[in-house]
Amino acid sequence: MKRLPFQKRTLALIAILLPLLALFIHVTLRSGPLAPVSVVLATVENKSLSPSLFGIGTVEARYTYKIGPTAAGRVKVLEVQVGENVEAGQVLGEMDPVDLDERIKVQDATVKRVEAQLKEAQTRKEYAQTQTLRYEQLLEVRSTSEEELLSKKQDLRIAEAGLTATREELARVRAEREVLESQRKDLLLISPVDGLVVSRDVEPGTTVVAGQSVIELIDPSSIWVNVRFDQIRAHGLRVDLPAHIRLRSQPDHIQPGHVLRIEPLADAVTEEILAKVVFQQIPDPLPPIGELTEITLTLPTLEEAPVVPNAAIHLIDGRMGVWLVTDDALHFTPITPGIADLDGQVQVRDGLQAGDQIVVYSEHSLHNYSRIQVVENIPGVIS
Amino acid sequence: MISLAGRDILHSWGKFVFTGMGLGLLIGITLSMAGIYRGMVDDAKVLLDNSGADLWVVQKDTLGPYAESSSIYDDIWRGIRGMPGVEEVANITYLTMQVFKGDHDVRAMVTGITPGEVGTPGWPLYLVAGRQITRSHYEAVADIATGFKLGDQIRIRRHHYTVTGLTRRMVSSNGDPMVFIPLKDAQEALFLKDNDAIWEQRRRSAGTPAFNRPGLPDLLDSFMASQSTNPFVNAVLVRVGAGHRPEEVAASIRRWKRLTVYTRAQMEEILVGKLIATSARQIFMFLVILSLVSSAIVAFIIYTLTLGKIREIAVLKLIGTKNRTIVGLIIQQSIALGMIGFVVGKISATLLMAPIFPKYVLLLPFDSVIGFFVVVVICILSSIIAIRAALSVDPAEAIGG
Amino acid sequence: MVNKGIRIEGLKKTYGSGDTAVEALKSVDMYVAPGEVVGLIGPSGSGKSTLLKCLGAVIEPTAGKMVLGDDVIYDDAWKVRDLRALRRDRIGFVFQAPYLIPFLDVTDNVALLPMLAGVRNGDARKRAMELFEALEVEHRAKAMPSQLSGGEQQRVAIARGLVNRPPVILADEPTAPLDSDRALAVIQILNDMAKKYETAIIVVTHDEKIIPTFKRIYHIRDGVTYEEEGEGRAIE
Repeated sequence: MKRLPFQKRTLALIAILLPLLALFIHVTLRSGPLAPVSVVLATVENKSLSPSLFGIGTVEARYTYKIGPTAAGRVKVLEVQVGENVEAGQVLGEMDPVDLDERIKVQDATVKRVEAQLKEAQTRKEYAQTQTLRYEQLLEVRSTSEEELLSKKQDLRIAEAGLTATREELARVRAEREVLESQRKDLLLISPVDGLVVSRDVEPGTTVVAGQSVIELIDPSSIWVNVRFDQIRAHGLRVDLPAHIRLRSQPDHIQPGHVLRIEPLADAVTEEILAKVVFQQIPDPLPPIGELTEITLTLPTLEEAPVVPNAAIHLIDGRMGVWLVTDDALHFTPITPGIADLDGQVQVRDGLQAGDQIVVYSEHSLHNYSRIQVVENIPGVIS
Repeated sequence: MISLAGRDILHSWGKFVFTGMGLGLLIGITLSMAGIYRGMVDDAKVLLDNSGADLWVVQKDTLGPYAESSSIYDDIWRGIRGMPGVEEVANITYLTMQVFKGDHDVRAMVTGITPGEVGTPGWPLYLVAGRQITRSHYEAVADIATGFKLGDQIRIRRHHYTVTGLTRRMVSSNGDPMVFIPLKDAQEALFLKDNDAIWEQRRRSAGTPAFNRPGLPDLLDSFMASQSTNPFVNAVLVRVGAGHRPEEVAASIRRWKRLTVYTRAQMEEILVGKLIATSARQIFMFLVILSLVSSAIVAFIIYTLTLGKIREIAVLKLIGTKNRTIVGLIIQQSIALGMIGFVVGKISATLLMAPIFPKYVLLLPFDSVIGFFVVVVICILSSIIAIRAALSVDPAEAIGG
Repeated sequence: MVNKGIRIEGLKKTYGSGDTAVEALKSVDMYVAPGEVVGLIGPSGSGKSTLLKCLGAVIEPTAGKMVLGDDVIYDDAWKVRDLRALRRDRIGFVFQAPYLIPFLDVTDNVALLPMLAGVRNGDARKRAMELFEALEVEHRAKAMPSQLSGGEQQRVAIARGLVNRPPVILADEPTAPLDSDRALAVIQILNDMAKKYETAIIVVTHDEKIIPTFKRIYHIRDGVTYEEEGEGRAIE
């Protein structure tokens, strides 16, 4: 009883100082560079990968028709609006003829005038012919001179030439009239195909130059995706590969398609290969032209081989490898990585076998002398 | 000989332990301050380590890409790749910006990395979850400090990215967490404005007669297309092949490509010496002030404790205790207080303070050792006033006056 | 060492100098034999405390001679270099209040002195225990000073004064805080100890209860001592 107070004090001191000291040692050894590194392990498995390629594209129409006048002029009417479906041969609008009709009337009158001239020439020729015949008979009976007959023959040839010239003139003015006629017809803007109006660039009353687009049509059955693949990741890209098309507006809806064509010209600036992917079925409603799409191409499934996650692969001193764990000891094993899929799985050509334990994730960079602590999840990762 | 100091501490342990804990919290803050400085230096070094590069090729006469903005054409790497000694090159962009997830946003350094395979310079060195980027668009690897989870959809400028992997300690020299995205997306992000800005820009261009000419209907389209490309990157990272000295390779790139090239040592000098120099000085001032405050507190406590023992000290002197013994008593108590404070400080800095600081706090064992000796020295110096007081005690005071 | 008590001849102490000089001790002559307990009585301001401090070697007298046992410790100047060691080894102190060190237990409070002199801890404690047995406080040896009664504390203080077997013990009002019975008991102890350990004991007091117990008394008045026969009454 008497000695207790002193002991109690000592005990209390020990009760405070010992845990403090223990905590201190724990803190010193468990944090900072002396602490073991938390790692997540994975077992190397034999798996067959189905690698795929990923590209970004935009919806485009394969055939775009820009309808416009062949001659400069003013737009008179436009009969279609953006979004309307049109048929081949349908009149989309008309250019203002301005003075074209009057010019046709002028031309009609000219034709009539030339026809009258033709008749006159005909009559002249017939008269010259008759005169020539009569003078021939008169010469036989020697009632006229040879010189007279020669003069009449010359008259006949002149009349014949005049007739030919007038006939050709008639053909010319008729053709000119036809030119105006066809111009009159060409004022109609006519759809060459069944298509969809995607743009109406000008409104009636606007003067346009020859060749400027007034109405833009696309062929809805011809839409495709113009897709870009990074050159470094385009290995295995070829025609007819099945594709998954994901439109930006419908991220949950994947539409099937396939590669139609790989462009022979790659983009040298962006270092991309261009390809065209078509839909298996044209989506209804039609996706807007220019919409962003994500394309995933599925490559043929590979043979089984040891597979590791790409997060496990590190480059140390210029060598690719993984951290192999044997009997809780770490060592860096060089590997030869092969083909990878988009889920981050990488085939290992050389250096690992199925069943090997490797480090996938680690809290810090690892070294050969790192102490490790195997955990389910690296601390701090929110899942 | 028995330990007078030990007995005294044992006798009034409550006072000691609680004073020690108070002091400990102060020392904890001091250690954390040192840790923040170390953390800043480490942030800078981690940034360089993570880039995995031996050389940084940047715009001529800039300190880029971290300390100053630098932009070079994104096809320059081709020429550099051909230089002797260059093993691997990769374009990289860095842009600190807000990254959105739903309604909330995080400040992050968005890093555009060249697609390729693991080990390409600029790629995150190791992950803590998920996988590295495999698609060349719209995937992101984020640092856990952003608070993002695997599978999160995050928005950077106009595009959405899926978080496929998480890193740890991948930060900019400012301590902002890094978000890795494919280079092409990053180049766009560097340049792309928000949707409104794009519309306005288009309207402005369309309203400019020079670009919207009736006789040249396609000019406007061409002009707008030319406006939305960004053929620039911030730097080219170079890995030097075995057997080549980075300095030599750097010199040849400087000479033949007429670009500025930094080696790892130079980059560290820029980051540590220039970028964080002011903050470092600020923290150093804090350290000094905290040390002064700590020593003032220790001095005050020890002085008070000593004054409370003046009579005992007089008796001790009277019965022939040597000054050395009395000085020892005070210094030992002071050091004991410092030790308790140090232990509590180290624990509180590691367990309580370091995790709650928003910036990285790196507590190096070496700093702790230095800290320990500083604490001991401070305690010894702080006890000087108390020692003077104790030594000036007249043993005659013990004899009734 | 043969204890030969303490002898003081013509001791003078002047505070200050010149016009403001105060002569606290003018001429002090004392002799206390080993085993003898003498009283030192005087009113306040008589120079009692100054004398005690000079005897206790904490202040330096101005002139005179002090002989402790065989050794002249002061002869117009200190003859001993280490006053601390002198106080520790050859002068025992017992104060008005016990002034025990509060953070040391009873044994260590006493054993501290021999320890300071370089005696091994075990031996020092053994010495303390012997004294505790003689003073009948051995059952409190492990207690802290704050747990003792006033009388017990004073006995421990006496033990501390005795522990280094000094030739002289200076006791400054050792009975002041005690009631009459306990005061007499303390004087009895001092008498017993003086005999047992051949120590000269000077008891400074103005306690009327105990004055009659001294065989010899020194009165001090205005810095001058006068020797006087005491009653030497026995203590029941």
